Formats: sequence, C-alpha cells, structure tokens
Amino acid sequence: MAEELSLLLGGAQGAGLESSANILTKIFGYLGYGTFSDREYFSNIKGRHSYIHSRVSSNKLPLSLTYPVQILCAMDAETVFTHFEDVEEGGFLVYDASLSNVKGELIPSIEPKLRERLKQTFKKLGIDSAIGSLTAYLHESKGVNVIALNYSEILSELGKRFKLLPQQASRYLSSIIVGAVVGLVQLDPEAINLAIQSRFRAKPELVEHNKFAVDLVSSQIRERYGLTYKLDPSRLGREEFLVVSGNDIVAMGKLVGGLRYQSYYPITPAADESFTIESYQKLIVDQKNLGSAVVIQTEDEIAAITSAIGAAMCGVRSATATSGPGFSLMVEGLGYAGQNEVPVVITYYQRGAPSTGQPTRGGQQDLLFSLFASHGEFPRIVLSSGDHEEAFYDSIEAFNLAERYQVPVIHLLDKFLANCISTMAVPDLSKVKLDRGKISSKVGVYKRFSLSEAISPWVPLGSDVVQWYAGDEHSEEGHIDEDPINRVEMYDKRMKKLEIMDKEIPPESRAVFLGSHDAEYLLVGWGFVKGVALDAIEELSKKGLRGAYLNIKMFTPFPSDYVNNVISEFEKDKVIPVEHNYLAQASMAITLNTGIKLEKAIVKYTGRPIYKHELVHAIEKVLEGSRREVLTYGQ
Amino acid sequence: MASNPNDFRTDIWMDWCPSCGNYGISAAIYKAYAELNLNPTKTVIVSGIGCSGKTPHFVKVNGVHTLHGRSIAFATGIKVANPQLKVIVHSGDGDLLGIGAGHFVALGRRNLDITVIMHDNGVYGLTKGQASPTLRKGLKTKSLAEPNMFNAVNPIALALASGYTFVARGYSMLSEHLKDLMKSAIQHKGSAFLDVLQPCATYNDIHTAEYYRKRVYDLSDNPEWDPMVKEQGREEIGKILQAWQRSLEWDNRIPIGIFYQNPKTPTLEDTLSERLPSYRETPLPQQPISREDGTPLIDQTAFTRLFSDFIVKVKKV
Repeated sequence: MAEELSLLLGGAQGAGLESSANILTKIFGYLGYGTFSDREYFSNIKGRHSYIHSRVSSNKLPLSLTYPVQILCAMDAETVFTHFEDVEEGGFLVYDASLSNVKGELIPSIEPKLRERLKQTFKKLGIDSAIGSLTAYLHESKGVNVIALNYSEILSELGKRFKLLPQQASRYLSSIIVGAVVGLVQLDPEAINLAIQSRFRAKPELVEHNKFAVDLVSSQIRERYGLTYKLDPSRLGREEFLVVSGNDIVAMGKLVGGLRYQSYYPITPAADESFTIESYQKLIVDQKNLGSAVVIQTEDEIAAITSAIGAAMCGVRSATATSGPGFSLMVEGLGYAGQNEVPVVITYYQRGAPSTGQPTRGGQQDLLFSLFASHGEFPRIVLSSGDHEEAFYDSIEAFNLAERYQVPVIHLLDKFLANCISTMAVPDLSKVKLDRGKISSKVGVYKRFSLSEAISPWVPLGSDVVQWYAGDEHSEEGHIDEDPINRVEMYDKRMKKLEIMDKEIPPESRAVFLGSHDAEYLLVGWGFVKGVALDAIEELSKKGLRGAYLNIKMFTPFPSDYVNNVISEFEKDKVIPVEHNYLAQASMAITLNTGIKLEKAIVKYTGRPIYKHELVHAIEKVLEGSRREVLTYGQ
Repeated sequence: MASNPNDFRTDIWMDWCPSCGNYGISAAIYKAYAELNLNPTKTVIVSGIGCSGKTPHFVKVNGVHTLHGRSIAFATGIKVANPQLKVIVHSGDGDLLGIGAGHFVALGRRNLDITVIMHDNGVYGLTKGQASPTLRKGLKTKSLAEPNMFNAVNPIALALASGYTFVARGYSMLSEHLKDLMKSAIQHKGSAFLDVLQPCATYNDIHTAEYYRKRVYDLSDNPEWDPMVKEQGREEIGKILQAWQRSLEWDNRIPIGIFYQNPKTPTLEDTLSERLPSYRETPLPQQPISREDGTPLIDQTAFTRLFSDFIVKVKKV
C-alpha cells in the first residue's frame, strides 16, 4: 500500500484535461484525500501539449509536486513522447492503442529542442521512434505496466449507447482519462457519481455520458489487466475540503475582505481571479444582501490601476490584478498612489519574464521590480504568499495594511499558485478582522495631508468635506506647493510611515521560521517555494538530515532583525536561498536589508515548478560544497 | 436658489499666462456651478497634466489632479465607486487625444455619466508649445522648429465614433455661451464631451482670439438645427451624420454649440444597477464590509453558502 500517488494526465490543450482534473480532484476529495495539481500549458487555445500533474496524499495536504509519477495517462501521442521518462519503475502508462505506430518526429507540435532530445534518447536506448517501441522498452526495462486501450472503440460504444455523432462522442476523451485512474486506483463508485454530478450539474445528459464512459474504461482495465495501484485509505480525518485554484482563493479572500471595486485588463495568469470575483459579485446569502463588488474590465492596465486609485479615494476597498507586463504599465499609477497616500491593492501574479516571457509559465523574477518600481521614494508594502491558505488571509490583510498605513500594497503571487488546484481546509473566519485605519466622516475644515500625523485622518472623497489631491508635491490641503520647507515636511511625513510600519507590523508575520532551531541547514525562500521546501526538508529528515525553512512574507518593510537573527543561528554556508529566478533576488533583498551576503543558491527558471525530488538532490549537493544549483526538471 | 459664482473660487493664485483661454473657462465654471447649485462636497473635478491640469486647484469643489493622460481613467473609478458624485474632467487636447486617447474612446463606449471638458489650444503649452493632436498638418506655431508633420484628429467625430451621448464645442472667449454648454453637458446623463477652443496667447500665434472671432458661429443660429435624439434607434443615424458633417467644417467657419445629444442610451450606471440591486441606493462607499467588532460581513456561514460550489464534503465511512 502507498501513502501517496503522483499522476500525470496529458493531452492537447482544449481537449478536456481540466475537466478530468476537476472530477478526479473531487473524487479524491470525497474520499478524504488531499490533492495538489499543477496545470502546465502553452500560450495557446487549442492543440498544443498541456498536462495536469497531481499529487494525492492519504496523510497530508500536499503543497508540492514530485517525480516520478506512478500513473501517466495520455490522451494523445505527444504526451507519451513528452513524459515517458516521468513514469516510475513499475508504474502505469495508459495510452491509445491505435497510436502504437505513431513516430515522434512526425508530431508537428513537439518543439524542435525536445524533438532533438528525443532523437538522442531513442538512439541511446537503441529503439526506433514509434510509440509501440517506446512502450515495449518501458515495459521490459522499467517494468512499467503498459495499458493500451482502444480510445476510438470506447468512444464509438459511447456514441452508440447515447446516439451521439462521432464528433460529439470525441468530447469524452477526458472521461477515458478519469476512467483509467478510477480503474487503476479502484475508487469508490459513489464518489465518482458525486464528482461527475457536481461537475455537470447544469447538464444532466452529460452526467450520464460521463458516467458511462468512466465505467466502461474502469471495468475494461479491471477485466483485462486486473492491475491495481494500492493507495492507503485516507487518514487525514477531514470532514470537508475547499477545492480551489490560487486565483479562486484570492478572489474569495478579497470578497471576504470587503472588496468593492476590482479592475483588470485581461492577462494570464491573473484574469481568472477577476472572473471568479465577477461570478460572485452579488453578495447575496439567504436573500440577504451583503453588498456587491463591481468588476470593470478596463481598456489597459494603466486604467486598471488609476481607476482603482480613483475608487479607493472614495473610500471603497479597491484592487486590481495583473501580471508582469501589466504591472509594468501600472508603475506610474503606483507612484501616484504613493504620493497621494491612497490605499490600493495590486495583486501581482508573476509569470516567466522579462517581456512577454513565458505567459503561461511560472517565475519569481519580479521581486526587485516590485520593490523599486516607479520613480522617486515612497512607502509601499510588498507582501508574498506561500500557499493557498496564506494567499487567502494575505488577500484580506493586504486591504487592512493599505488602509491602516494609507499606502499602496503589492501582493506578490505567481503562476504556480494561480493555477494549482489545492484541497485546503475551509478558512476559519473567526480570526479575521477588517481594520480600516483612520477612516472617518469628519465634517468641517479638512486637510487631506494634515502634517499633524504621518498617517493623516482619512475622509473619503464625496464625504461632507471638500478636498484636493495632486501628484505634484502638495500642501496639507492637496494644492501644488514647491516650497522647500513644505517639501521636506511632506516628504518626511510620507517616509515616516516606513518606520511606523516596521514598528507596528509584527516581524513574525513578515518572516516565518519553520522547523527546529537545532536544524543543520536553513532554506530561505518566498512564495510558492514554501511547499516544496518543507517537503524536501521532511524527505531529508528521513535520512537524518535536519533542516528548517525561512518563509519571507514581507519584503518592505523588511523584517531585518528577525531574518538577521534566524540566519545568524546557522553556519553561513548552510543557509541556502531557493528561488524561481536567476539572481536569487530574495537573497539580494536580505543583503540590502541586513548586510548578510549569502553565497549559496538553488534556482530554477525553466518556468516549471521546483519538484521535491530535484530539490532534495540539490540540497545534498549544496551541503557537499556546491555553490549554486540550477534546476531544470520537467517539461 | 442659485449660489454665488464667487463661492466656487479658491484663494489659490491662478498662474496661467495673461490672456490665457483658461480664464474664460474658469469664469464659465464658476457661473455654471453656481447656476446648477452644485454641492461642492459631491462634485469632483478630475484633471490631467499641463495648464488645464491646474484647474481643480482654483475651484472650490473636490479636486483630483492626476497623471498625464489618465484623468478619464481616475474619473471612471471615482464615478463607478460613487455614482452619486458629479464627476467633471478638465484635460488638455494632448492629455485626452494624445497620451490618453485610449481612455477617451473607452469612456464613450461605457457611456458612464462623466463630463469631459477639453481645453483645446493646439499646443502643449507647459512644455513650451509643441504640436498637440488638434494642430493641423503644415502649421508652424511660434515655437515649432519646423511645420507640424502630422494630421490633426477630429475631436468631435472621434467622440461621436466612440459613443459619447453628448457632444458639443464651445469657445473660451464666449464665456456665457460656454457656461450654458457646460451646464447642459453636466446635466446630461451619460458620457458628455465638450471641446473648448481656446487661444494659447504664448505659444499658438495662429489660433488667436482674432482667428476664432472671425470664424466661430453658433449651430443654434440656424433655427432648424436640432441635435437631440428623441427616440432611440430611429433618429440616431441621421443625428450622428449631421453632427459628423458639421465637425468637418474648420478653415473658414467653425461651428460651436451642441452637435449631438442622445439622452436615451442607457448609462453604465443603469447597467450596473440592473446587475447589482443596491448599486444606486447604497453606493459602494456606504456599504458596510464588517460588523462593529471588525469581523467581516461575510462570516463563516455566509462563506460556506456563497462558495458552496467549491466545497467537497468527505464521504463518511
């Protein structure tokens, strides 16, 4: 019996993979398993290779992925060629038997470099490039159980049963994949029915078709192969899960946090968040109206940030969501918010950069950019979330911080988190508080930028006072003022917030030490690295090597003393930054704020997530003396 | 009862050049606001960058002096967040039709109830008189090294094409006429555009007060001129076409007045109100987000109900 299952489902973009993943996640959820799934895809609507990589656990809520996988299900030939090396010895490969003669070099969508690598591999293995030869090799040399199903026969049987045209039946390719996993892991039929019903609630006929296809495939596997992947029953003991993508959970956090205005311009991987918000914008529960959130698709990201600033001035919790190219356009607006002390939240999903970069792949290359973006000096908060749960509470806290300190807040996330589907605990709202800072409805003479305090009382635009804002250096009243003494007073007033924030925001919420203080090495990272870092540490602890992780959550105001203290407990060559960028940017931020220069680094910038197996290996190498490890696993 | 125009003056010194067209525009603002009896706390002037950008500092209503080209975008957020506010944009021709042209078009598409008043003097005054998008090709205003290389955009036609439902032109030296246009624009429900011709005494030595005096005529001098769409759908095309045709007049005679007005098109606020029941009655800033103790209005129960589609109940063994 196994505690875990890793699986990879691959097929052409647009062929229904997301549907398969959704149903499988729900099935595993009903059965009490924790799952974590990454979706990898090209910037393409239909046809290019995409895949879902999942980890299912009986004893934890997984927050990272690893290779090899025990089950590989291929909708098409490209999946087999792209991923055959990802299958564990003795694992399972499900593919379409009719593809046996397809040769790798004839698939036009495989990118030239991969085609070249495949050629070399085939040469090395001494096999020709047909799928049949490949599967025979996998079977003979790696003991992989090769399950060749006839997809077109299955689909035509489905078509016959429900009188579907061939092109209609072909839409159920995704059910074949679900059926294969269900058959191999011998999952409970009741859970399967519930999951399919939940997915196709609005279309009852699809429920029947899907059930039929899943049933057909799973029973074929049982009858013909009798093989089973024996997964332990879940020991998690949960009653329920929230099944969400990173985009979804941030949308939920924002709505709970009182979001009233969200602007966006379409961009991957941020746009789905705004979709989710718009789907739930009418906050009506049991006929009770709890308010509403307006979502505006603006003409560009400049309008996204500037309209969000306008809305925030009116006293509503206001945000925008974007990725690197969009944030680049927002930079002037960000400075305006800083200069005018406007509490606006920018949810920033990093993707492979620079320029268009890798629109659908992940990265953490924009940390330094977000810290310094826009001309001039002004206080801002840069906040980062390590997993779905953190992302939820941080989305709420971003508004609290923005309003308490009247500063722009950049909430840094990435494509990995945005697209990963996680089974998480339903958030506990009893601890959540909304803090609106010095918002008031004062009547009478009002100075928006009163110098009486660094954080002036805030009466929203449209209240019973008249007030002015200006991007120019301004007087207390908000009028243009170039007087040198006023300049210093106003400049100091703004910058003083840095000190106030540093004093007030608890350091232990800005950096979190995870692990025991007697650890032998320390990984330092931020954002999505958290999950895989903790998993790698756990894996190495089984070998007797104790490690700890420092999760940096806020880069400005930076928790300098806290980080300094943690790092100082370790020998410097046992402190290893782990990041999804080239420069180890968080490591540079540490140097900037503490003076500590870290020499080591484990980095990955392929656009794919860091996997546990490769991180474990890299940590070992760094502890043996390597200075820098560059990770590249994954397609 | 109308208030006093002087009540809308601030004590900030106007630092525009002597005989700048902006003085005429400001005079029209004070009078229009007084006659409309605007509530200064519920009125917002949003401006961009340049000489026109300073306008809000001289008017005692809320003022948001923003970034170059972005006045409409800021104004959009303000108006959507609080539809009870009167939002009036004062921006230059460079602001609106050069760097900010995308926002100009987008506002027309939305028909959000914002008034856009364009200070149209053909030059970028504050940076020493470069050619603006409304300066015609081949003209060489005072500070240009060579004649302007680009064709001018037609602001009236662009506004019509973008979907503005009130399109008019005024002239800064005809302050009383301009005031009336401003009032109509502000009272119009929907995106309103008012192109205000103004001399730049310092940098535009072609489009002088003398130049306009000879050419400007009021569309409504012709008793048959009727820019108003009274029935949605039927009259629209004809009214747009006649406005478009007039917008092409320039060299000898320059029309001012209302080119087009269509109060029948639903505004963005109408659309939002249909979608969000409480949008108009309880504007977003007045909607509570938390209880008195700071706990969110969306509590545990509400969360579970709202997002039930995302919740998977584990099967009991």
